[in-house]
Amino acid sequence: MILSCDFLAAQAYSDRFTESLVIRPLEDGKVASLFTFTTLMAHASGRDPINDSEDKPQHYTIFPLSLGQILREYAITELHLTLNAGKWDYLHWGTPEDADVGSGAEMWAWMADGGADSIDSRWVGVRNAVSGLLCASLSSLSIQRTTSPLLAFPPLGDLPVIRPTNQTDASKQYHLRHASLPSEHVCTENLTPFLKLLPCKSSSGLASLLNPHKLFDADWHGMGVHVRWLERKGVEVKLTFQAVVDPVRYSPTHSRDASLGSMFDRAIEKPCPVAAESMIQVKSPTDAVFHLSPDAHMENGIAVYDLAEAEYPLDISLRWPAELSFNYLFSSVHTSAPIRVTRVLRDASQTHGRLTVSIINESNHTQYVAYLETVPWFIQFYLHTLRITVDGEPRPDLLHRLSYTPAIPHADPTVFEPIFTLPPLKALRFTMEVEKAFLRYTEHPPDAQRGWDLPPAVVLPIQNPDLPFPISPYKSQRIYTSTLLVDLPTPDFSMPYNVILMTSTLVALFFANIFNTLTRRFVWIQTAVA
Amino acid sequence: MFLRRLGLGTLIAARLLLAYHPALLHLQDDAQLSSPLTSYKRLLEGIFLFQNGVDPYTGGTFRHSPLLLALFSTAFPLSSTTAPIIWLAFDLLGAVSLAKIYHSRTQARDRNRNFVLVAFYLLNPYQLLPSLARSTASIENALSLLASAFACSGKSSYALLALAFLTHLSMPAVLLTLPISLLILRGPHSSLATPTAFHSWSKLIPLIAEYSIYVGILSITASSIAGGVHWSYKTWGAFLTLPDLTPNPGLWWYFFTEMFDHFRPFFLATFSIHMAIYVVPLSLKFQHDPLFAAYIILGIVGLLKPYPTLADAGLFLTLLGVFPEIYQYLRTPIVTALLHLHSSLLLPLFHKLWLSQGTGNANFFYASTLVFALANGFAILDALQAGLRVGLGTRPDGWELVQI
Repeated sequence: MILSCDFLAAQAYSDRFTESLVIRPLEDGKVASLFTFTTLMAHASGRDPINDSEDKPQHYTIFPLSLGQILREYAITELHLTLNAGKWDYLHWGTPEDADVGSGAEMWAWMADGGADSIDSRWVGVRNAVSGLLCASLSSLSIQRTTSPLLAFPPLGDLPVIRPTNQTDASKQYHLRHASLPSEHVCTENLTPFLKLLPCKSSSGLASLLNPHKLFDADWHGMGVHVRWLERKGVEVKLTFQAVVDPVRYSPTHSRDASLGSMFDRAIEKPCPVAAESMIQVKSPTDAVFHLSPDAHMENGIAVYDLAEAEYPLDISLRWPAELSFNYLFSSVHTSAPIRVTRVLRDASQTHGRLTVSIINESNHTQYVAYLETVPWFIQFYLHTLRITVDGEPRPDLLHRLSYTPAIPHADPTVFEPIFTLPPLKALRFTMEVEKAFLRYTEHPPDAQRGWDLPPAVVLPIQNPDLPFPISPYKSQRIYTSTLLVDLPTPDFSMPYNVILMTSTLVALFFANIFNTLTRRFVWIQTAVA
Repeated sequence: MFLRRLGLGTLIAARLLLAYHPALLHLQDDAQLSSPLTSYKRLLEGIFLFQNGVDPYTGGTFRHSPLLLALFSTAFPLSSTTAPIIWLAFDLLGAVSLAKIYHSRTQARDRNRNFVLVAFYLLNPYQLLPSLARSTASIENALSLLASAFACSGKSSYALLALAFLTHLSMPAVLLTLPISLLILRGPHSSLATPTAFHSWSKLIPLIAEYSIYVGILSITASSIAGGVHWSYKTWGAFLTLPDLTPNPGLWWYFFTEMFDHFRPFFLATFSIHMAIYVVPLSLKFQHDPLFAAYIILGIVGLLKPYPTLADAGLFLTLLGVFPEIYQYLRTPIVTALLHLHSSLLLPLFHKLWLSQGTGNANFFYASTLVFALANGFAILDALQAGLRVGLGTRPDGWELVQI
């Protein structure tokens, strides 16, 4: 009865909620799992910043109201937020199911231009609102972190044409704002509000597996909120939670056998009644004899469980019966990633450094990549020292195109966005000298000696490097590098009064002596009788 | 004659050899030799961006004048081969101007003395090291000497044009306008011993107007090179707002690193105005000898400017050679020399300890900049009182000189 009522309600407003869980055992014995909760508000579209007023009545059924209000208030067409903890290991874990695995907080939004509020004021507004919604310190994503990269963050959905113009490209009316904060960490206080955005919370369906005790003990974990608009469909919000757990670490016998119970400490007790579709997929490994229970319906080598037809409580277990204990040979690594990136900042002093990046093309054909580096202003690039080498030979011709926005002190970050040609099975290496700026003492964080985290660089493989800026329909997956910790020179924080006092004394003494000499008259006086 | 030529040839060859030596390339990164406004690396970066279609004035790295940008991206392309020659040429220009100033002041045809002055200019470590670091401070020094030399020989337009160029490279040079204009009117002869009043102050107006026109024309040229007036915020604006707090031997950087945010604009204004208030009193006091006024003002600007380098102190010390009449009245030359010795050893040592070794902190380097400022302050004060003392003649027996 309840089911059918909900079904009718969902039909009436055409909102649709689907959920899925993808489980993939990894080569090094760990297990990656990706939860995806998708809500589609059919035939809706984002607010037009010029023509629509903010107080038009809205009706929400299963689309999260608190998020919908934020999107409407700031007229956001596309919004992405990821909060990740840890470094995704591309070498051993391969390509992630959900590509946005950059460490820390990352947020970007596509907004239509026009209306009373500027793009930047709406960006500040949405940043603060989302930071309140998810209890994250996104307000630190100030202008010092905000950029508008040209290539790496194309819109994932469609952009509605808001003003019929001669321009065929609707994207020209839209602007991107992107910011990342590598030192932000995802934790329980972010998961609780995240669960509140789901129609069934964590009481039933796949979301009941989201157990903070286990998730935040994982080797890698991250959550994402992705809002986009799809033409002829409506506004879609996709909430994701991705985790890499290590069953070998939990197991007393070092076996890599895993189950929902061992990974999340829970089994699924009942399905979420409003979910139109609820699936669990297990991607089976090919390297060893592998046993899965209960039995699943197989599709192209992927085991699929439909929660609508499952028996409850549902606990899926993955077993390697031939293995007593699991031993991972790090030497036998063969990566499936077509491109790998490493980035280091070498520095002999606190004032200068050298950024070294190598991009390795693992495939046997030429590839093009767009590289994106957005670093806060206190790292200044010397672009004239950029050297591109392959196998030690200088290859400046591999730089296909370069877009560069220099940093502005105490404000905007550097945006360095080259497009490289990667020769097959070679490592392209580029180095550049950087200079570290000196900050005012009030600009340092409380633990200044810890250093600053630089955001991960992003590499996006592209098909055709000659398509025009700014946006091209590249739908390939982004690759993130690790973050960098940079050691900036610090002043002595206990000195403000002393410095003001000592410098002022010196200046005052100088001033007084100069004017003393200039204004007083020299006279001879007789000191001895002649 | 032959020995002098041989000496000069050896000097130039040695300078070139040093400038091409790869081991000295790291001097370019030394914060005491080149400030963010005079750094060679930043100049190269600006030229690179300019030639690749990125506006170098959108960022904060490049703060050199558009005139330098145009000069070095077209007429004199900079490379590791050409740069040492260009910098040596500027140093020779400065040295020859210095000899010229000395010659017009004393009217002495003493070629040995000229050679000593040239050698002192080329070998003074405060001048030599910034030049080896290819700091544009060397160009600024050469231009201020050139402007003074033209003013000494009465070539008013050349002098004011050189000063306008200098103002474009380093804004505090605008404070030299008054003494240089006076110098054009009164001539360079040493009148410290015979002070006479200057009556035709109104003649200054056309000279200052001419200087303003030159600055205006150069600004229009600069704007057409940079494609807008935004360059002035990055170059001249940096002198007023101190956006880059890279340590230098001056007094500003640590003061404004440690400054409370709400007091920053107040103290920025105070420091800028403070530098300017010496100009009129000194020009009035030394109206009989404007070259000496220019000398003292040059020293004060070098001490109090926001982004000084060792080259500023070097210029003041080198110019002392032009005023032999004050030597006998210097009261504290040994203290000044010892303070300079002390600070020139401590500055690089503490800079390295703080930023490379990590064993010292910022206060050590700050303390040595205070000693350096003290050394410069002592030198300026001593030269100032000696310049006034010259007019009072030798001390008769049984009499003492006092100030009332």
